[in-house]
Amino acid sequence: MTSWTELKQSQPVAVKMLNNSITRQRIAHAYLFHGPPGTGKQEASLLFAKRYFCEELHDTSAESCNACPTCKRIESGNHPDLHWIEPEGQSIKKEQIEYLQKEFTYTGLESNKKVYVVREAEKMTINAANRLLKFLEEPSRETVAILITEHISQMLDTIVSRCQRIQFHTLSNQKLYEQLLNQGLPESTANMFASMKLDVQQSLELNEDDWFAEARKIVIQLMDKVMNPSEDGYLYLHQMYLKHFQGREQLDFGLDLLLIWFQDLVSLHLDKNESIVLTDQMDRLEQFHYVVSLSEAKTLIYEILNTKRKLAQNVHPTLAMEYLILQLQR
Amino acid sequence: MKILIEREPLMASIQNVMKAISSKPTIPILSGIKLEANQQEVTLTGSNSDITIESIIPSEEDGVVNIHEIVPGSVVIQAKFLPEIIRKLPENQVELSVDDDMNVLIKSGHAEFKLNGQDTEEYPQLPVLQTDNSFHLQIDLLKMLIRQTNFAVSVSETRPILTGVHLKLENEQLELVATDSHRLASRKINMTDTDGLTFNNVVIPGKSLSELNKILDDTQEPIQISVTDNQILFRTKHLYFLSRLLDGNYPETSRLIPNQSKTVVNVNSKDLIESIDRASLLAKDNRNNIVKLVTQGQNILQITSHSPEIGYVEETLETNAIEGEELKISFNAKYMIDALKAIGTDQVSINFTGAMRPFIMQPDEDDEPILQLITPVRTY
Repeated sequence: MTSWTELKQSQPVAVKMLNNSITRQRIAHAYLFHGPPGTGKQEASLLFAKRYFCEELHDTSAESCNACPTCKRIESGNHPDLHWIEPEGQSIKKEQIEYLQKEFTYTGLESNKKVYVVREAEKMTINAANRLLKFLEEPSRETVAILITEHISQMLDTIVSRCQRIQFHTLSNQKLYEQLLNQGLPESTANMFASMKLDVQQSLELNEDDWFAEARKIVIQLMDKVMNPSEDGYLYLHQMYLKHFQGREQLDFGLDLLLIWFQDLVSLHLDKNESIVLTDQMDRLEQFHYVVSLSEAKTLIYEILNTKRKLAQNVHPTLAMEYLILQLQR
Repeated sequence: MKILIEREPLMASIQNVMKAISSKPTIPILSGIKLEANQQEVTLTGSNSDITIESIIPSEEDGVVNIHEIVPGSVVIQAKFLPEIIRKLPENQVELSVDDDMNVLIKSGHAEFKLNGQDTEEYPQLPVLQTDNSFHLQIDLLKMLIRQTNFAVSVSETRPILTGVHLKLENEQLELVATDSHRLASRKINMTDTDGLTFNNVVIPGKSLSELNKILDDTQEPIQISVTDNQILFRTKHLYFLSRLLDGNYPETSRLIPNQSKTVVNVNSKDLIESIDRASLLAKDNRNNIVKLVTQGQNILQITSHSPEIGYVEETLETNAIEGEELKISFNAKYMIDALKAIGTDQVSINFTGAMRPFIMQPDEDDEPILQLITPVRTY
């Protein structure tokens, strides 16, 4: 995404609000970009920063030139007055916000303008959030904060109330699906990525990745095992599944894949064939939907979501997965 | 770009700029050294975004040829390996060349290093500082000014502006003030050639100043100081030192300094330092490191310290003169020793205005306008 015009196609409201605040020179001191993953929040913050620092400005346009050294350095992450804060491990720690705090008592390196972007802002610890609050309350001049989050409800009310909220709306699955097809992805894969709300960039990367192809296969095999009473899903979990999905992010991804299976089973029960994602696996779905009743499928979806939550709460991953498999096993 | 350069001056320059490079850079490009060559000289730059050091190697100086061949150009090289590479090269001359794809080739004797460089366009652009906004000092004087004030800056981040030294130039007088709100150090000097230059509210981070103090040698050579909105530049012949400033308004400090006194003590500062140091031996474990000072008749000061778990120390000290009211006062011994050391003269006069009011210390002979203020500690 290199310009507002491109982003505007998918996010008309958000882009219009931001553009107006830029062209009318009414930039707020703090923005909160919220919305589901893959909706261009990061791109918007990058575009915003470029426009804010760009050397060759046109007052009437919200676009940056994208060619001056400043724009290039923002693109490559080398601009000294633009600060990115991301979670280190599971959370954004107090020290990271302290670093920001120190940084903002200094004057800028190149000019007096400064921008800080906090990614996954809901992952701030309480301490960090309270520290951030302090300088959201007393903004220094020419400093803009952009907080990015997918879960606005997990943010402190005190922080939310001090930011201008910009909502990024979900892309419709259909639109995303079409975009992905245009990029040359096979239909079944495009469908799966669209339902997982991955953005185009992530989808293309995953599509190239052998790990993903293997992951997809392993999840299908796991489904085969747990849906067949004579097979042992528990063993398969230890022999294959846990060896492939290592670490929190990969486990989470595996659960997303599993979730799609059960969502499809529900769709099939309700005769909503058009919303089925795994169209290439219709045989299996048909077969499984005799094994799992509608209400069971719903319960199992709930269990999977519960497992995701457990992982986020630092439950031992192996134990959480074992529990889930015991629930899934027919 | 291509240069053929002597190893010694290159090594010295690299070591200078390495002092500014942090092992954990805030942006990736700052892990590198910027090398820039033009017809007359080669400039090396290192930065951690708070401070930036530039070191200049002239191609020829005092008849000594440093650089034998220059083709202008610039590149950013990873700083992690460069010093070791240059140090261990076999010959005394180094050939360093860069191709269009920013590949760096370092050649010396039969050794050849190929390094990946980066485009200098990615490097932060430092403000071009105008020379007309500047004044000169001698390096040793500047170092003394830093020593006399910088110790008093605040180390806590609760009021960030106090972590810096306040610089003010007005009516041909330069004033430096540092305070952590418990003590204050102030030093004024008269300037002659400022051309009517005035500025106020320039606050230099204390850390930058101690770094500068380390880098500069004690010489009588002049150093040029230029101030802009967001940076300050210290410039010697071959070394530029840039620091970002602290943002915000420095508090008005002149009101804090009492202008009358009720008790004046004139004392040999070396004796006072030693006796306070002895008294604080027992107080050091204590949270505030408190010693107590009591005036007695016949120009005698009594210095005591008492900590209930450890014990009690008492010492009397003969002074040159004690004038005014009797006094009992307690204060932090470390602050007192720091202040007396910063003053650095033989005799010092201390002006008290009561046990609960801040007191000031000044050298006896008033040719150096240095002033140290300490707030007392309330004890019962």
